[in-house]
Amino acid sequence: MTDIPRRDPRTEWILRNRLHPQYDEMVAVNSGPVRGPTGLLRKNPHAVGFIGPNGIKRIDRSAGLTGGAGGLSSRAKGRSAQAEVELPMHRVEQPDFYVAVVVDLAGGRLSSHDKDVLGQAHQLVKAAEGEGAVVAVALGEAREANFDKAGADRMVHLTEVYGQSLTGYCPEHKLAVLEAVESELAPRYWLFPDSVHGGADLGSRLAARLSERPVVHAWQVDADHSVCRGGSQLTDWHRPTARVILLAEECALPIDETRHEAKPIELASIPKVTPRIEDLGQVEVDPSKIALGEAEFILSAGNGVRDWSQFHEVATALGATEGASRVAVDDGNMPRFRQVGATGTWVTARVYVAVGISGAIQHMQGIGRCDKVVAINLDDGCDMIKRADLSVIGNSQGILGELLRLAESRQSGTELESPKATAESTEEDRHVA
Amino acid sequence: MSPDSFPNSFSNPDLKVASLISVGQHPKSGRARRASQDARAVELGLKMAGSSSRLIHVGGGDETGLRQYLGMGLPEITLLEADGRADAVPILVRHLKEQPADIVLTGIHAERGEASGMVPYLLAEYLGWPIVPRIADIQKVEEGFAEVLQALPRGQRRLLRVSLPFIATVDNAAPDARQYAFGPARRGLMDGVAVDAPVDETRLEWQESPAKPRPKRLNVVKAKSAADRFKAATAKPQGQGGKVIRDGTDREKAEAIMELLIAEGVVR
Amino acid sequence: MLLDWLLPALVVTALALLVIGAIRRVLLWRAGQPEPVNIIAGLMAMPRRYLVDLHHVVERDKVMSNTHVATAGGFVLSMLLIIPVHVFGLESRWLSIPLLIATALMFTGAIFVYRRRRNPPARLSRGPWMRLPKSLLMFSASFFLLTLVTSGFLPENFGSWVLVAVLLVGVTLGLSEMLFGMGWGGPMKHAFAGALHLAFHRRPERFGGGRSTGLKPVNLDGKLGVADPKDFKWNQLLGFDACVQCGRCEAVCPAFAAGQPLNPKKLIQDMVVGMAGGTDANYAGSPYPGTDVGKAEGNPHQPIVDGLVSADTLWSCTTCRACVEECPMMIEHVDAIVDMRRHLTLERGETPNKGAEVLDNLIATDNPGGNEPGSRMNWAADLDLPLMADKHEAEVLFWVSDGCFDMRSQRILRAFVQILKAAKVDFAVLGNEERDSGDVARRLGDDATFQTLARHNIATLGKYRFQRIVTTDPHAFHVLKNEYGDFGGHYEVLHHSTFINELVEQGQLSLDRFKGGTVTYHDPCYLGRYNGEYESPRALLNALGIQVSEMDRSGYRSRCCGGGGGAPITDIPGEHRIADMRVDDARKVEAETIAVACQQCTAMLEGVVEPRPEIRDLAELVADGLIIEAADSTAPAAQPIAEEVH
Repeated sequence: MTDIPRRDPRTEWILRNRLHPQYDEMVAVNSGPVRGPTGLLRKNPHAVGFIGPNGIKRIDRSAGLTGGAGGLSSRAKGRSAQAEVELPMHRVEQPDFYVAVVVDLAGGRLSSHDKDVLGQAHQLVKAAEGEGAVVAVALGEAREANFDKAGADRMVHLTEVYGQSLTGYCPEHKLAVLEAVESELAPRYWLFPDSVHGGADLGSRLAARLSERPVVHAWQVDADHSVCRGGSQLTDWHRPTARVILLAEECALPIDETRHEAKPIELASIPKVTPRIEDLGQVEVDPSKIALGEAEFILSAGNGVRDWSQFHEVATALGATEGASRVAVDDGNMPRFRQVGATGTWVTARVYVAVGISGAIQHMQGIGRCDKVVAINLDDGCDMIKRADLSVIGNSQGILGELLRLAESRQSGTELESPKATAESTEEDRHVA
Repeated sequence: MSPDSFPNSFSNPDLKVASLISVGQHPKSGRARRASQDARAVELGLKMAGSSSRLIHVGGGDETGLRQYLGMGLPEITLLEADGRADAVPILVRHLKEQPADIVLTGIHAERGEASGMVPYLLAEYLGWPIVPRIADIQKVEEGFAEVLQALPRGQRRLLRVSLPFIATVDNAAPDARQYAFGPARRGLMDGVAVDAPVDETRLEWQESPAKPRPKRLNVVKAKSAADRFKAATAKPQGQGGKVIRDGTDREKAEAIMELLIAEGVVR
Repeated sequence: MLLDWLLPALVVTALALLVIGAIRRVLLWRAGQPEPVNIIAGLMAMPRRYLVDLHHVVERDKVMSNTHVATAGGFVLSMLLIIPVHVFGLESRWLSIPLLIATALMFTGAIFVYRRRRNPPARLSRGPWMRLPKSLLMFSASFFLLTLVTSGFLPENFGSWVLVAVLLVGVTLGLSEMLFGMGWGGPMKHAFAGALHLAFHRRPERFGGGRSTGLKPVNLDGKLGVADPKDFKWNQLLGFDACVQCGRCEAVCPAFAAGQPLNPKKLIQDMVVGMAGGTDANYAGSPYPGTDVGKAEGNPHQPIVDGLVSADTLWSCTTCRACVEECPMMIEHVDAIVDMRRHLTLERGETPNKGAEVLDNLIATDNPGGNEPGSRMNWAADLDLPLMADKHEAEVLFWVSDGCFDMRSQRILRAFVQILKAAKVDFAVLGNEERDSGDVARRLGDDATFQTLARHNIATLGKYRFQRIVTTDPHAFHVLKNEYGDFGGHYEVLHHSTFINELVEQGQLSLDRFKGGTVTYHDPCYLGRYNGEYESPRALLNALGIQVSEMDRSGYRSRCCGGGGGAPITDIPGEHRIADMRVDDARKVEAETIAVACQQCTAMLEGVVEPRPEIRDLAELVADGLIIEAADSTAPAAQPIAEEVH
């Protein structure tokens, strides 16, 4: 469901056409009182109010019910108004100290991990005496990064240093920026997300440069004391909190009740470095060649697949990594390293599409850690359907064929999308308006 | 396991490759074993420099764990014997200064202890070498530069060019370590050289305890209205019985699937 | 006369050549590793082993058995008589008439050999073996006629010198095949090597109705497995030489039938090539499926794998022992294969596919799946099983095996627990103290891991008092029973089929009649061929009122499910799957249920795509048929059992 107010073209169209059989109804719904043929004011009692979440009709007499002219969904309007509530602004005029948070900005956005770390920074600020400011250090291009809402009082945002873009892999330049921040702001803490997106790397580099012994894999941090996960996730280490902290995911709650200034800070000078690591760019990786265990989107084939060339085409068109059930492998239709399951590879995909796989127990074990499972199967009683988040019952060949056409039309840009979004919103309206 | 998704590792027997190895532990049984990332580092070293690549271990020399590295087909381990509580970094710095290497490989984190993953960074800082984290492969070494494939999440790769000598940590995405065999493991040499190193005093003050299960974050809904709170409380938990589409054309079914794929962001 | 000196000269020359060839052959065998055997006792026992044990196997084919008796008996007798009659010229009717009879007998046998060779089945080797019947005929006919001539049964100067010349040519050819060929690698080599092989067999326990199926342990401080042909024990090399290339092994080998690159006959012949040096170009039998003949090359000091045989050949074997069971020369194919696997795993670290991972898991977690060692009892969380650690003493120790981690096998285990409880058996389990029996590690060639596991298990078992061990896993059963002895673990071990059958016979269980359709029974290799238990499972099924409809291949000829010897782990591709072929066997007898007695077989057969017969373990069938109310224990307890069901 979305908060964006949606127009209903059909309603608008009916409202433009006085001869439409539903014209009166629509006018009644949308513009309140109507005059009858005798000039009497007519009210349509059915059009008043809305159905509440518990199924009982509710009449809201507080605001103008007729405000939603032109088919604008009053509910959607209400919600969007709600989302625009101004959060209180948290201001730090003269900070006594700084806490630096170096965000990953993976894909240009603040990840939930980044936000957790910012939340942690505010906890440390609160615990300390004096007024502290959280400096978000963002290196590289940022898109839709709401630093103010995520809790950045101050910002160091650089997209390039001496002509070198900071968006790719350039830890040496980034380290130089951090050193500049260190020398100019001398943050009380340096917080990094302990992540594979660069946070752990940069944090370790800074710690080594500053000869600080960092707190790593930290999941419970306060001003004096930290709890960290040890090797193989088997131990916890209780130790004093240090200056450089690499924080695990969900270490603290993100900021969600205040807005922050996100006031930019200009760095006076950044040391110049000669990088010894050069980023030659991301390598094109054929999704079909990603190892199964790593793949995030798997299209998996079982005994129910008949047309194998079609299956491969769909996988290519969707950009999915191919998987297979044991039977499909045994029958020689797929190579052995594509086998998913307890006897094959345990997969961790975010989306796992099982085509014609009924779901032997070993297979189900192997996909236990998948997020969303989609099943295409003829037999609606099979175990895979019981596990799946979305199941479609039918012949895999036909459905794959349609899927292929959809994927291809998406690629070529000719969206033959039916007005799904509108259909959805009108459905919502039916419940609410 | 994985197919040859990328060209095979570069190989040059003259290259001086050293792998820093530690004793790992099995996540289920806690039993000592070769650490999986370190073993991948050894594998990469073996592929690049054959059996002339060196294995270096600092510490007490746990037999079972270390012998598994020898079982991969290397003749010996340079065992720098030190107290288990000693700081490995100064020992390694000294050793690498005495017997230089072009490429030093190791795992990202240890499987035991604090597992801070700082050793390679500190080595790089003290030796003044560049460090490349999380590599999947080394594709080319020529004219004092190496082309290194860095592993990114979800099977993605980035190509980096780095000057020799350098330190690299090896990601789990690197090729699986070869099987270790009993025979070579038994025969391999593990002659220790006693080195003196200061005990890591700071660490002694820390407390170690078995990992406590971390609380899973609940989906806290800060609802603004009674209706929203009601909805949040009664919403069906995810994953309990999915949606099943029985009727409709193939087209509609395919659209339903496509919608999910787009919503999940796997189809862009 | 020409004959007077030429004939003895020929015979003596041939005998001399035989002796020289034989010595050379013996030297080839002696390149192997020492293995103590009792030479005198072996030689003394040889005739009995030959006449009784070997013919017991040969007799499975009656015609061939008689043919062999006639031909071989005739030949040995003739040779013994030719020496006095023709070499020393003793002229006595007491010698010449028996000689005539012997050669006639041999001739008769040779005719049958000839007839079979006219249209030989695919499993027989061609090449020199096609020549053999002719040589046999020539030898026997020539000596028959010559004896007639020389001993005066025919008038002096009968026929002409032409006839004599023809006979001499026949004698020469016959002698060169029979004696020269015997020493120098011709088809007749089998007689000489075979006789000695029987005398010095590595498993003398197999003779006289005994059974010896446990693998021999590796000395972990010595040579690890077999790299070159010379690393085999000398009597193993001798055994390879005994092969008659009859191809019975090939006919029963499940891997060969599935089109995997294994042919036991070819493998043994390749070992012979490796021992003698050379190539397999002269091999004239079926190849390894998908591999051309003529490229294998080897010598005693050259690695076998990737010269003589490919590693895939060795990893295709399911260790089902069908070839060994079928071999009339009692050659030990499985020992040889595992010996070579040991080298691959222990020295080279080249266990294919999932092998390395499984071994890794066994080392780190004591189970092949890498499951948490402390979760072995999770399957029985609700069953309240008595633990040995608490009881210290029980009548029966229930060996749970690694089936505890597999959800399908857990159903079998639960069924068996139900039976144990119904029969009020005093039992206990080891719980988390139990470790994998080591079966898989050992078949994959990792004897080091096997020995570690075995020693741990033996130490654990040593802490407790129990009378017998019962297990539902034939692999664990075999290992506990036959392979722990080498490390000091001697136990009375029963498979659950035997044990349940005992309970039924003693009236401890009352069973309802089975209400299903046709049932067939699949003999697990490790229960049947390895341990000779064919009867109890069938008796048990009878007790359930089931008339077992036997598959073509059942009992000692049962076809493997494809799950043994780590074959599902090493997973060598073939054209078919062994499990599919086995289920087809069952479909042929229109079985609706396949009764099995092994969780590995269950997993393999259930892996066959439906529709297929239902797969039920004996324990499950019995548990379904249990009549729980113990009030009337007299009625159906003593069902008619022990009906001959072959």
